[in-house]
Parts: sequence; C-alpha cells; structure tokens
Amino acid sequence: MDPIQINSHNARSIKLKATLTRKFSGILMLAAGLALISSSTFAVDEEAAKALARQNKCLNCHSVDKDKDGPAYKKVAEKYKGKANAETRLIEHITSGEKAKFPDGHEEEHKIVKTVPAKDMAQVKNLVQWILAQ
Amino acid sequence: MTDTPKTSAIGRLWAALRAPSLKYSLLLVLTVGFFSGLIFWGGFNTALEATNSLEFCIGCHEMRDNVYAEYKDTIHYSNRTGVRATCPDCHVPKDWTHKLIRKAKASFEVWGKLTGSIATKEKFEAKRMELATHEWERMKATNSIECRNCHNFEAMSGEIQKQTVYKKHMAAKEKGGTCIDCHKGIAHKLPKEYKEDDE
Repeated sequence: MDPIQINSHNARSIKLKATLTRKFSGILMLAAGLALISSSTFAVDEEAAKALARQNKCLNCHSVDKDKDGPAYKKVAEKYKGKANAETRLIEHITSGEKAKFPDGHEEEHKIVKTVPAKDMAQVKNLVQWILAQ
Repeated sequence: MTDTPKTSAIGRLWAALRAPSLKYSLLLVLTVGFFSGLIFWGGFNTALEATNSLEFCIGCHEMRDNVYAEYKDTIHYSNRTGVRATCPDCHVPKDWTHKLIRKAKASFEVWGKLTGSIATKEKFEAKRMELATHEWERMKATNSIECRNCHNFEAMSGEIQKQTVYKKHMAAKEKGGTCIDCHKGIAHKLPKEYKEDDE
C-alpha cells in the first residue's frame, strides 16, 4: 500500500470515529436529560412516603387535605410552591427537631423523622417530595 | 381353687394408689409429697420463665430476622435511660394466670413454625397484616395490659411531656382509649396494607 493510500485510509477512519463519538455523546446527553426529567418529575415513591409517614405517626398531627395540630400537606405544598429552597427547608424542619408553631400559638419541637436504616436521607427526601407534590 | 378377679393395668394402678400405705408413715408420705411438689412447681415455673426471654423468642429465625431486627432500631431497645423492654414485656402478660393462657395460645404458633408459613421474608411480609392484627386485637381486649406495666396516664407529667402529646393522652384517657389505639407499629414495621383511620 503506497503512502497516499495509507493517508486516505487513516483520514476515513478518523472521520468515522469522530462521527461515532458525536452520535454517542448525543445519546449520552439524551439519556442524562431523560434521567434528569424523570428524577425531578416521577421519582416520588408515593407508597414509600406514606409508609414512612405512618411509621413516624406524622398523620397523628397532619393530614393530606385538612388541618389538624399541624397544617394539611396541601397547604404546605402551596406555601412552598415555586420556592427553590422548599425541599431543603422541609428536610431541615423534620430532621433537626426545630420548633414548630401550633395553631394556639405555642411552640414545641417538631418530631424528628426516623428511618430504617437510620438517617437514610433518600427516604426523608422522598417523603418531603411527596408532601410538596400534594 | 378360687378365681382371682381379672383387672386392667389402669384398674390395678388405681387400686394401688387408693390403698393406704402399710410400710411408710403418714409424715414420710406428706414430706416426700411436699418436696416433690416443690421440685415440680419450681421446675415448671423455671421452664415457663425460660420461654419468657428475648433469647428464647429469637431462637427461631422467623423472629430474629424480621421483628427482632426491626425492634433493634426502636426506642424500646435502646434509649436515653437504658431501660429495655424485651419481647415478653410487651407480648406476655405478667400475672401468672394470663401468662399461662398466653403461653398455651402461643404453643399453637409452633404449628406455624413446623409448616414454615412464615419461613421466608416474603412469606412473613405476606402474613404480617394478619399477625399484627391478631396482636393489636389482643392488646385492645386487654386494655394494653403490657404497655401499662410501665406506662400509665396518671404518671404522665403535663410539665415534661410535649404539650400536644399530653393533650392527646388526656383526651384518650377521657374517652377510654387504650395505648394500642394510637401506638401501632412502635417496635416493628407496620404492615404495608395498614392505613390510618382518617386516610
């Protein structure tokens, strides 16, 4: 094979690799995009969130749609709608034992949500996302 | 030649038991009877107590791998004051008569063990609601007798207990509520089918 033929072969090979790389990156970006959409829109595991709420007796003081000692989850979701820090704020509220204000004006520590295994933030996050989705 | 009466083995034993002792004094018979009774009673109660321990309860993998593993993450296992409530503290009444009745009923659970009805995690989860419901009903019927060995409304301090919790407890006391009405699943996972009343 003479040098001109070799160069032409190499050039075709490089072009093919570049095309494949571009296509592969495109697929990767599309997959990442889909993963992002699904994580922000469809990731809430409703049954797991409800199970954690029941286990922690959240529903003794809260309800999805009516106020009890604590506000209805629908009201919480409305309050935090569109706020960028909503998730962080609610996670802080249910895991730090900070004071919560009650309808009669008194304040007391909010129960700290417990998970099994302990301090599993993915479960807490799922619960908060479910509350915000009401 | 005279005919000897033919009696069965049970008949002969009964006759021997009814016959007065010709060889031993009444004092000896009573003393031996008393100490035999003591040994029997002591042995019976020791055996009963041996089955009334956490170690005995988790002797089978069905309990050890499921409810015991869950309980280890709860306040009844580990807490600030170091008081631990073990399986029989919550599931077996303390007084002798009710304890014996509970034990007799629990012996039927051996059947479950033999047939392997909760031998795997999947089988246990499938039956969890049924098993939990039995226990909730038993606790409700006994006015949560085991809970009340340690907890009671009268000993709750409105100064120390959180205000909302105290309010709920006093409201429950007023309307004749019992612990298990609100405190289901405090030491074990709630069944997946379980729903709160107002859900």
